[in-house]
Amino acid sequence: MKTPFRLDDHPRRPQPLASPPDGYFDQLPMRVMQRVQPAPATGRRPVPEWLAALSAPLRTALAASVVLGGFAASFLLNQPGPLPATSSAAGTLATVPRTELVEYLLASEQRVTLSDLAELPTTEQALPEAYLRASPAEVQDLLDIQPTEDLYL
Amino acid sequence: MEDQDILLKFADPASRNVAFNQLVRKYQTKVYWHVRKMVIDHDDADDLTQDVFVKVWKHLESFRKDASLYTWIYRIATNECLNFLSSKRRKFFLPLNDVAAELTAKVEADPALAGDDIELKLQKAILTLPDKQRLVFNLRYYDEMPYEQMSEVTGTSVGALKASYHHAAKKIEHYITQSD
Repeated sequence: MKTPFRLDDHPRRPQPLASPPDGYFDQLPMRVMQRVQPAPATGRRPVPEWLAALSAPLRTALAASVVLGGFAASFLLNQPGPLPATSSAAGTLATVPRTELVEYLLASEQRVTLSDLAELPTTEQALPEAYLRASPAEVQDLLDIQPTEDLYL
Repeated sequence: MEDQDILLKFADPASRNVAFNQLVRKYQTKVYWHVRKMVIDHDDADDLTQDVFVKVWKHLESFRKDASLYTWIYRIATNECLNFLSSKRRKFFLPLNDVAAELTAKVEADPALAGDDIELKLQKAILTLPDKQRLVFNLRYYDEMPYEQMSEVTGTSVGALKASYHHAAKKIEHYITQSD
């Protein structure tokens, strides 16, 4: 049968765990005093009073907000400006005399090819759908009836 | 130096540092061991003991003297210990038993308990108690603090403290008897 353990019969050790390192209690008052004394002034720039009054989590949240805000502003400011309306671009182009357009194309040795026209739907979203969906034959027919054909071919 | 003299000198800016140094020297051993028995590890006890005295420094001017200085410092130390243990659980998402297991491992590694099987069992048995009951047990068993003073430190009624200590002692005796 197990012998019941009784606390009252057990010799009491006031400090049952290992003692702290030698000299610990001699140094502790000095270490505490160092913590409670104001830190000597250094060359560091003082933190603004309103910032020092904030708690550490608040200061962290504020810093994160400022950084994220900077990124967002940078992203928004670098967005390309709105594209000019296609209708106004088409209107401007319509005012140019046809002969000048032909002369420009001849001088710059530019040629409008089928592949140029095929790329149009991806660049000029607002062009009339009927035009964008033109078949190669229709485009060729349109080119054939241009009065400038004889001038540059 | 009497507590009253320490408080008078602390109130005077010219002698404040000397008075506080005396206060730390007077109570450091009791505070350290009170904390150490709760957190077991010396480094943790060292940090917490310093924190206790830093708080004493900050709030000593507002100490209202409706309790003794000794009781007031004990209350600060007790709160620091309980906060430390609960924040340790929150910080590492540890359940109650894991913190007890960590403290038990530290007790088993303590050189002062090597070769003293009954004392080691006693320390392990104490660590099975909930923090507040362990605190009550330590104050009564090791510090032999009167129940009235324990009541001021813990904010618990004398009757509740007596019951808590009685249950703690029974649990410890049962634990050691069963582990034989």
